[in-house]
Amino acid sequence: MDIRLLRPSDIPLIQHANLENLPENYFLKYYLYHALSWPQLSFVAVDVSRPAKTPYDYPKIVGYVLAKMEEEPTDGVQHGHITSLSVMRTHRRLGIAEKLMRQSQQAMVEAFNARYVSLHVRVSNQAAIHLYRNTLKFETEKTEPKYYADGEDAFCMKLDLDFIKQQILEAEKAEDEQDKKNNGSEEKTKEDQDEGEPVGDVGRDPEQDKKIKVKVGRGLGVGELVERDESKH
Amino acid sequence: MPQILSTKEANLFRQVIRDYEEKRYRAGLKAAEQILKRNPKHGDTMSMKALIMNAQGKTEEAFNLAKEALKVDFKSHICWHVYGILYRTNKNFEEAIKAYKFALKLEPESQQIQRDLAILQVQTRDYEGYVQSRFAMLKARPQLRQNWTALAIAHHLEGNLQEAERILTTYEKSVSVAPSKTDFENSEALLYKNSIIAEQGETERALEHLEQECKKCLDRLAVMELRARYLAELGRKEEAETAYRALIDRNPDHTDYYRRLVDVLGLTAEDEAAQKAIFDEYSAKYPRSDAARRLPLDFLTGDEFRAAAKAYLSLMFNKGVPSTFANLKHLYSDSFKKDTLPSLAEEYLQEAEGSNAEASSDSSKGVGAALFFLAQHYNYHMSRDLTKALEYVEKAIQLDPKSVDFQMTKARIFKHQGDIAKAAEAMDQARLLDTKDRYINTKAAKYQLRNNENEKALNTLGLFTRAETVGGPLADLIDMQAMWFLTEDGEAWQRRGNVALALKRYHTVLNIFDIWQEDQFDFHSFSLRKGQVRAYVDMIRWEDKLREHPFYFRAALDAVKLYLSMYDKPEGVNGANGNNANGEDAAEKKKAAKKAKKEAQKAEKEAAERAAKQNPNKAQKDKEEEVKKKDDDPNGVKLAETKDPLGDAMKFLEPLLQFSPKNIEGQIAGFEVYIRRKKYVLAAKCLKAAQALDENHVKVQELVATMQKTMDGVLESLAPKIQEALKTELA
Repeated sequence: MDIRLLRPSDIPLIQHANLENLPENYFLKYYLYHALSWPQLSFVAVDVSRPAKTPYDYPKIVGYVLAKMEEEPTDGVQHGHITSLSVMRTHRRLGIAEKLMRQSQQAMVEAFNARYVSLHVRVSNQAAIHLYRNTLKFETEKTEPKYYADGEDAFCMKLDLDFIKQQILEAEKAEDEQDKKNNGSEEKTKEDQDEGEPVGDVGRDPEQDKKIKVKVGRGLGVGELVERDESKH
Repeated sequence: MPQILSTKEANLFRQVIRDYEEKRYRAGLKAAEQILKRNPKHGDTMSMKALIMNAQGKTEEAFNLAKEALKVDFKSHICWHVYGILYRTNKNFEEAIKAYKFALKLEPESQQIQRDLAILQVQTRDYEGYVQSRFAMLKARPQLRQNWTALAIAHHLEGNLQEAERILTTYEKSVSVAPSKTDFENSEALLYKNSIIAEQGETERALEHLEQECKKCLDRLAVMELRARYLAELGRKEEAETAYRALIDRNPDHTDYYRRLVDVLGLTAEDEAAQKAIFDEYSAKYPRSDAARRLPLDFLTGDEFRAAAKAYLSLMFNKGVPSTFANLKHLYSDSFKKDTLPSLAEEYLQEAEGSNAEASSDSSKGVGAALFFLAQHYNYHMSRDLTKALEYVEKAIQLDPKSVDFQMTKARIFKHQGDIAKAAEAMDQARLLDTKDRYINTKAAKYQLRNNENEKALNTLGLFTRAETVGGPLADLIDMQAMWFLTEDGEAWQRRGNVALALKRYHTVLNIFDIWQEDQFDFHSFSLRKGQVRAYVDMIRWEDKLREHPFYFRAALDAVKLYLSMYDKPEGVNGANGNNANGEDAAEKKKAAKKAKKEAQKAEKEAAERAAKQNPNKAQKDKEEEVKKKDDDPNGVKLAETKDPLGDAMKFLEPLLQFSPKNIEGQIAGFEVYIRRKKYVLAAKCLKAAQALDENHVKVQELVATMQKTMDGVLESLAPKIQEALKTELA
């Protein structure tokens, strides 16, 4: 068992693992959409012990977390979202789900400055709820009635990621001090040049307002991919 | 001369375009008709009408009309553009590119045509054309960074790394204000450039660039991994060690980091103790890391192995980790380890019995886990003793009759005993122990398929597929691209002699691979906007060899074999399987086919009923889309009626040979098809490839004889050129 970043070539077997394990399924293109929009956020657990059968074997996926950033957060706060998380029942009790989640959460803060991460979970899924609530310290925000296709309710859960941000800042501080010691103090002003949070719409494309819908997935909170349309100008 | 529209009509024409873009097809058509009433030869309007008709699914009429439009106004870029779009939506990209090029010649300033053309070029891997297009687009809008990045990607994909790097650098130099720290596009572009430097083999420069330019890049993991790799490659061992240690701290469950750490420390296989010390250090630091505890089992030998394995197994058994056997079975290539592991499990059992300790309330832990391990051990092909396996699993089940895992293993043992029916039944028993778990549901269905119970399997799967999908579980599984199911279902139908449904499933797999290839289409522009360039390039490279995936190989090989047997026994649907389909068999198979057809009809009817019950507004909308999607051969009857099975087999065979040339089964199948098609040179090529892979393969020897016999009969009659080519191939 090995935990690492998701690669596009993993996707067919991630899709397979999802189909084997969960009732919420997606087109391959929806996985691609995650892998190409936020390639830093999704992780897999692979079974590296399997002897190869052909020269074209792909590593078997025994667990994965498929994560994204909310593209248009209704609350205006940058945050991540867990689209799907699954570990094969044959590979439980090794803490894989937790490890996958922690890797993803770390990257959400580092790469996209996520303030929190949200997810949905079936109200009947005791094991998952235990993981989120007790191990990872998620809080239940509300219950969403009939969220799932079969009519089951979902808990909306949320985890504040400020603690990761703090860790990063502390590590950076320590590193800077180390640098200072190593290089003398003349470097300091350079380091300070670009600090702090982004203000306004940094990196935002001014043409973003015109949108078309590009079909990507179906239902299940997936629907259609909202994207800017370049074709009209 | 094209007809000129009046102001009012020109406005109307713009309305047609708007209607099309906003999918108001009926309104658009009406407006177009209105223009055409007065100007029946207005090419642009005819083209727009064709475009709308195409969107409504009337492909043939649309093409006819678009051709008419070109006849009356072949100098209109709109007409050529529409012609290109029609080809594009019908997936004929080569023709689409031609049409777009005409359109662009007539309207060189059109950004839209240029962009559409560029996407088609990269989709079809016409990198030369893509470079030209991206260059033109950059010239038109050099202020957009993504245009620079795109040109660099084009050069990169074409294999011109230096030019790619130069383009990125040119952009960087043109920017006067330093990009913000949180500018993701900038961060990615820097790392992309870094990867291009590294790809040129210039590790030293890549490291320098990384440390100077990418230090603050937002993808921390990438920066850390690249840095560690470069340092290791450059032999800067101490720094590389620190870098890999930092990575392990970040993710102590990634095996590769440990391997590289051991590597940069200069430790070899002989330095068992020194290696072990590193892993001990990390298993103390990260008690929850499995890798740190398990990896030493790979290199340790003798008593050291025994001690470490004992500790590891005890821990796993105490925790009741179900994947313990799966995580260790790769060690069985070493016969000492293969013997030691089960004896340690036995020891564990004896100790547990001796201690008479209070039985854990969770029987999947402790004794149960050890019994489970031993059952799997004796079920594994390298250490198989099915009687013992069954003994152990029964003991485990006695301990915990409700354990899905135990029951599942029992079913697997039956399968290895060759009793497929009993295995399927046992797996269904396991499923009943946890009806809310889809994993065991999937396994049960798979075993039912192995037992040729297609209908039952579909019912089982239907417990988890989306209820509202029109067409029931089958439609949902197809929609969701469930490759495993399509392949297993096809194989089961084939075993039952239902050629039509078997072919249908294999063709569906083939179609899904086409969809997966097309799926990249939108990302050629999407990824540039997102700025995630490295992931995009990764995706392109993966898509290039998409069909080497075992999912493709298995279904394609099945299909080729089925077509071969159809060619050899053209008398009918019944020759699908076995060499001696006698009358009785045939009758039974016919009956099965009939039954299958009935089932399919029933499913369709049920689906229609379900659809009718849906929200009427929604149903209406679905219907419109459905017209387009309707399958005119849902049960594969037309596929089975083919007059040219070998020709049909080629569709499956060609990618098989192209993408999995090292798989001997593919080469053998290739030979069988080509020899029947009298393509002797190609047959000889496959034979040669198969021989190179495994000369002693039973089947290969057979093929050599077939080739020889065939050649004796026909060589003289072949054209001298072919004779020559054959002699070279077979030399």
